[in-house]
Amino acid sequence: MKTLFYLLLTLFTFEIALAQVTVKGTVTDKKGAAIIGANIYIKGTYDGASTDVNGNFHFKTDSHGEHILVVTFIGYKPIHQPVDLKAELSEFKFILEESINELKAVVISAGSFGASDEARQEVLKPMDIVTTAGATADIAGALNTLPGTQAVGEQGRLFVRGGSGHETKTFIDGMQVLNAYNSTIPNTPGRGRFSPMMFKGASFSTGGYSAEYGQALSSALILNTKDAPNHDRIDIGLMSVGMSAGGTKVNDKNSVSGKIQYINLTPYFTLIEQKIPMDKAPEALEANFAFRQQVNKDGMLKVYGNINQSSLVSQLAEIDEPNTYHRFSLENKYRYLNASYKDILNKNWSLHSGISYTLNNDIIGMDTAQVNEKEKGFHLKTVLGYDHSNQLGIKFGMEVFKRNYQQQFNSLSNQQTGSLNFDETILAGFSEVEFYASNNFITKAGLRFEHNSLNNDQLFAPRISMAYKTGENSQISMAVGQFHQTAENQWVKINPELGVEKANHYLINYQWQNEGRILRGEIYYKDYADLVKFDQNQSQQPEVYTNQGSGYARGFDLFWRDNKTFKQVDYWVSYSYLDTKRDYLNFPHLAVPTFASKHNFSIVYKHFIEKIKTQVGMSYNFASGRPYHDPNSTGFNSGKTRSYHDLSMNFSYLLRSNVIIHGSITNIPGIKNVFGYEYSNTPDESGQYNRRAITPMAPRFIFLGVFITLSKNKTLNELPNL
Amino acid sequence: MKKVIITSLLTILVISVFGNDKFEKAMKKNIELVYSADSEESYQIAINNLTRIADAEPDRWEPEYYIAFAYTLSSFDERNTDKRDALIAIAQQHMDKALNLAPDHAELLTLQGFIYTAKLSVDPATRGPKYSGMAMQKYNQALQQDPENPRALLMLGQMMYGTAQFMGSSTTEACETIGKSIEKFETYNPENEIAPTWGKGQAMRAYEQCGK
Repeated sequence: MKTLFYLLLTLFTFEIALAQVTVKGTVTDKKGAAIIGANIYIKGTYDGASTDVNGNFHFKTDSHGEHILVVTFIGYKPIHQPVDLKAELSEFKFILEESINELKAVVISAGSFGASDEARQEVLKPMDIVTTAGATADIAGALNTLPGTQAVGEQGRLFVRGGSGHETKTFIDGMQVLNAYNSTIPNTPGRGRFSPMMFKGASFSTGGYSAEYGQALSSALILNTKDAPNHDRIDIGLMSVGMSAGGTKVNDKNSVSGKIQYINLTPYFTLIEQKIPMDKAPEALEANFAFRQQVNKDGMLKVYGNINQSSLVSQLAEIDEPNTYHRFSLENKYRYLNASYKDILNKNWSLHSGISYTLNNDIIGMDTAQVNEKEKGFHLKTVLGYDHSNQLGIKFGMEVFKRNYQQQFNSLSNQQTGSLNFDETILAGFSEVEFYASNNFITKAGLRFEHNSLNNDQLFAPRISMAYKTGENSQISMAVGQFHQTAENQWVKINPELGVEKANHYLINYQWQNEGRILRGEIYYKDYADLVKFDQNQSQQPEVYTNQGSGYARGFDLFWRDNKTFKQVDYWVSYSYLDTKRDYLNFPHLAVPTFASKHNFSIVYKHFIEKIKTQVGMSYNFASGRPYHDPNSTGFNSGKTRSYHDLSMNFSYLLRSNVIIHGSITNIPGIKNVFGYEYSNTPDESGQYNRRAITPMAPRFIFLGVFITLSKNKTLNELPNL
Repeated sequence: MKKVIITSLLTILVISVFGNDKFEKAMKKNIELVYSADSEESYQIAINNLTRIADAEPDRWEPEYYIAFAYTLSSFDERNTDKRDALIAIAQQHMDKALNLAPDHAELLTLQGFIYTAKLSVDPATRGPKYSGMAMQKYNQALQQDPENPRALLMLGQMMYGTAQFMGSSTTEACETIGKSIEKFETYNPENEIAPTWGKGQAMRAYEQCGK
């Protein structure tokens, strides 16, 4: 007991023996401005204070001797300073340095439109894709309302800045997708194969993208699938064009989702007359599934698969004799599998690895002839990321692309058969350094290496981009780089030794953004080299096909979006100016390609009417006339179509919390749009070539659907999945 | 020898009681500061004080909980949506630290749901579908851990109320849940003196709304 007494006594005397120490001083930033609310304290104790409006602080402590004084403030680098706490302490003067902070740091906006629920600097949200009138929930349809794209109504693909549809590549979770669009009748648009609401975010790049993305000459559409869902649910959809059913099961560490969709356009085509007569309207059966597994704290495995089977039979008329028809049949088989794994290995290293497999098989019948076209593709990729600090990060990646293409031709009438095929293996590697000089200035420099087995081409593609914050809400960014892509299958199959097509991108972008309002402007220049070229007779001799084509594209884009000014209203306006010419394929000289229109304008308007729980959307698209080749006149591609207009509307009505009715209609005024003209191969008696206009299958497309969600949580609905 | 053992045991006891007392005293004072904060500055001071405690007591989830709570509350006072998102992001960082220390604690799960609700409220039209589901899930998990927890019930009830109002459907079930939370607030025994106690006033106000 005595011992305890002594002990307490010791503690007590120790307390009074040493007087408190006063710690005081100021905290400022580099420019000398006071920092208000900084935290100053002695590590391991509760003793400390916050700075006042003048950046001053002072506090008393019972601690003595060697300690660490800590100074912190959000957005600044902390200071840890050793101090010797004794009675007479001189005043401290702390100067805090800004830290690189992802919430504050500038983001490169040149060439890229981001779409995500989360990030601040995003232009579009995944939901916007679904609710854009005229897009009919098609990713490409919605992105076509952004600047940099050209309306090419007979294709339904993304044509970016004077590039053809094949020059835009789609990636899912970093992995390549081949044949991202449904197969259709020639000169009718194919829808994208992937539902926009599978994705938590998308980045649509119209140029100058990262060294990570290869085999894309003009544009990269980078889609990231959603993470693990958090509720069990069943979704049922009844549509004017078919039906769907899906389910999600969530377990502790993993989740499984599946969906089956059956589309049959027979009833629709019976009601609404189509330009091309159909023996069998398009019919498709699609199944897709997604599996998510949380492997460890940060490690996530994602598997996604898509199986699609579709067919149609139609009658195509001859140009010279519109009453003579030829049977055209199309059967398409599509398989896509994507597995990717992402993990944070330790404080500095992260890993992203994946594999994708695509199989696309089109069996096309024309009268008694048949073409069987099959493409298989593998993509393997591993990326290691090293974060040295918030300021500096490096990425290294290795990739293998393997592709096999086969085309078989059989003609029953004259017993002809033939086949064309090729195999391609691309080995690629890339590295990219990201450096923040400050929160206001970022530089990204990358280098990509590729070796192509077809032609033994080896190439190095440097790419660099920078962004500088010019004010709190404004920034300037630029990007320069070299881009490559293997030529289109239809040429490579004839001459597998064709070299890689090349393009250089140069762009400068200005962006102003303030809470719900964005203004963007971008100027660009692209020069194309090594494009495929052949003589006008289109012979099947391989040596006729060379890489002597070239071209250029230049122009500017403007974009304005505002969801702030008017309550419950969101709208955006885009304008693109394009000046492009190419001397490629069978062009006799530099000429504007048929898919290029000089002016593109679109306006998208969305209004949520709370009273009737309905979102109403409208969009208007305009494209100036496109060239077409008229063999009856002199000159190449000298004809010009009239301009294109489309006014579309849609609505989504929440009938009950788990029931949604969705409807949309395109081209309300019924404008007769002409995309171009097809000409007969032979002249008639008077020496004239007959022609036929390329127009949509029907003036309008009308869609109606009811979507029901069943779950324990009654508030869930299909709105985000439409 | 015996004496030595007793003495050292007593010393440990004295120091730990003394230490604990100091922790609780400091926490109580600062929890009050969080509850009474009404400006950016007053939140910052409370957050700074709690940060010091968190730094000195790395094994306790409470300081991190109240820091996350303070940042979340302060986000509702901010009008600039970018800044709101930034505050919520910091709240989430502290939430993660707290969850690392006590992963299945009902109060933490409730606060996590509240943080999702805050994120939702920045942009309800776009974030509604995703974050309402995430928040609901957390409130339900919290109630699984502690069916008596009044805060989890209140939050759940409020989320149900908001959704029902948006859909124009009946708010009866939501109001019943809020009413039940008021009962639980009366009877709930916090696990210790620094455990969360907030929400009763909010529950009363929400319940009054229900009558209208």
